[in-house]
Amino acid sequence: MLNGTNLTASTVAMYIVVIAAALVTAAVVAPAVSSVVQETSGDEPTVAVLTLRGGTTDGNVNQLTEDLREARTNDSIEAVVLRIDSSGGPVDSSEELYLAVNKTAAEMPVVAYVEGSAASGGYFGIVPSDAIVVKPSSNVGSIGVVVAAPLELIELVGDQQETFVRSGPDKAQISKDSIRSDLESLKNAFVGTVMTHRGDELDLSRQEVARGDIYLGTEAVQNGFADRIGDEDTAIEMAAERSSAIEGDQYDVTYFEQPGFRFPLPFASEDVEKVEGNIVYVERSDSDRVEFVEPVQYYAVWGVPASQENASVEVVANG
Amino acid sequence: MASPRRLIGVFVVIVVLAVGGAAVVATTATDSGQADGAQISGQSPQQFQPDAVNHQADPETGEIDVDASDGAKRILVDTSHGNQISRSDVEPVVEAAFESGHSVEFGTSGDRRSSYAETISNYDAVLIVQPTSAFSRSERNAIQNYTDAGGRVVVLGEPTQIQAALGLFGAPSAVSFGATNLTQSYGFRVGAEMLYNMNAEGTDNNFKSIYASPSTDDELTQGVETVNFDQSGYVVVNEEHDDADDIEVLYTSVDGTRTLETRREGEYATAVRSENVVFVADSTFIQESDVYDADNEVFVGNLMDFLVSGDLDDSFPTDTGPATEPPEPPDAPTPTPTPPEPATPTPTPVGESS
Repeated sequence: MLNGTNLTASTVAMYIVVIAAALVTAAVVAPAVSSVVQETSGDEPTVAVLTLRGGTTDGNVNQLTEDLREARTNDSIEAVVLRIDSSGGPVDSSEELYLAVNKTAAEMPVVAYVEGSAASGGYFGIVPSDAIVVKPSSNVGSIGVVVAAPLELIELVGDQQETFVRSGPDKAQISKDSIRSDLESLKNAFVGTVMTHRGDELDLSRQEVARGDIYLGTEAVQNGFADRIGDEDTAIEMAAERSSAIEGDQYDVTYFEQPGFRFPLPFASEDVEKVEGNIVYVERSDSDRVEFVEPVQYYAVWGVPASQENASVEVVANG
Repeated sequence: MASPRRLIGVFVVIVVLAVGGAAVVATTATDSGQADGAQISGQSPQQFQPDAVNHQADPETGEIDVDASDGAKRILVDTSHGNQISRSDVEPVVEAAFESGHSVEFGTSGDRRSSYAETISNYDAVLIVQPTSAFSRSERNAIQNYTDAGGRVVVLGEPTQIQAALGLFGAPSAVSFGATNLTQSYGFRVGAEMLYNMNAEGTDNNFKSIYASPSTDDELTQGVETVNFDQSGYVVVNEEHDDADDIEVLYTSVDGTRTLETRREGEYATAVRSENVVFVADSTFIQESDVYDADNEVFVGNLMDFLVSGDLDDSFPTDTGPATEPPEPPDAPTPTPTPPEPATPTPTPVGESS
């Protein structure tokens, strides 16, 4: 009996230790699990800060549109701050970003904070925001489109005609006129979008916007490309103020960080064709087949092609 | 003593319950209970609709008509001054001239046997497209005498532009109109900048592809409402020039046209005529890619008519007479009374040499 009582006491002690260990483990793991399932917790309404640092490329935009979808569907998120440092990218993905932000702005306040640049495609993305906050050094504007096409493709139309047996006269043809017309159309969509969302604020005419100037933050506030000089907290406060579900400073802030490559990849990085969110497309070349690339690519960018030659551009003053 | 197996079992059960519970709570908090479809709503922004976006370029229609009433004429296309023109660029124009019985030849001034004056004396008209090297004094004199004697000359030129680097180690370079010294002698020169227009109705398919309209009633503006210049500059006229009264502005840029660097808005002269010389501050409108834009084909037809309707008289020396004096050296400072060589009555030019 005495023995049995001792045994019971030690058994109880061991159970206590095990239970304590289990609770500690659970306390460590459960929040992580909880935050995976629900990015925000707590009862307060939340301002979500979404970040885009880098080009408006397929991968970046895809991640951001997923974050924006999450912000729209999460009941506790009442406003969004779009923290951006982007000088644009391909027109197609820039339009994609615009549509995602436009949709979000239709459902809740969206305030953009221009951390570095919101130029060209980057500005395309934030233009439907309710307000745009900049610093003096922010770069805003550069509304327009450029085309990247090998010159020889355009100039050697005759040679192209001999490359394939073609089914029609326009098949596999690129002409300077068609590229220019496409550029004009894409410009119309871009400039039209800026005028639709910022026309009332802008001091500039449609033609002046279409010139494609880039503006510093201070100039942008004056000409209506941006609304206010401020910092990230300014943008968060403005977003909270604009939400009818948030009273005073009774709100939480949650950050959706822009992920990089998080997993080691079982293939060489040069084989990666594109990345969309967590989906990585890998090019598997087949030596028996001719490979094709898009001959003409339209970009809404502010910048010059990154290359060896451009790395050492010097400005020389005569005299 | 509790068995280790039982203790591990308790540990696992508690961890699973706690973590699972947290997940369930979080899931419940997130899930609004709506079907996915309730959150789907498409958008089709007004400014993305085809009417707001699609650009309509000028249709490329029409024909180049060249007058044949004055009989068959020979036109020389200058190729000896680094001219930025190739035969294929002007094939439609050559074809139209051929249909009317005229011939267009690509020639050079400068072989050893003949002077520029001798060369051009074999032709009824001279077309000089975007020369990048200068005309020597004797060449300028030859052309001056040529037009004084009724020969017709058309000069097409563009303002200085930066040309993209070619090749791996190429550096961007400036390309300049080289015949300013030639046109200046007639009282005009190409302006310093290119032109652009941001009004949709002021251009074809690019801000630099500007429109110009006739500013006078002349044989060179007949039948033309709008011409399209793809690389246009403007013409500056010297109003103090001796022949200033003879200079006629043929075309001016439409409203909203500005200079590319300094953004000065204005109505810029893009083509002028002084008696037997026409100067256009663009060299692309005559090329295959642009010749059917707007009314370019009518203007080009008018230019060809202008060229073939000249009447070079005997006051300009030809090479058909007997040689009494040696040919003038190429850089002779005086105007050309270039005496011909008797043994070489054949026309020299032809052949694109460089």
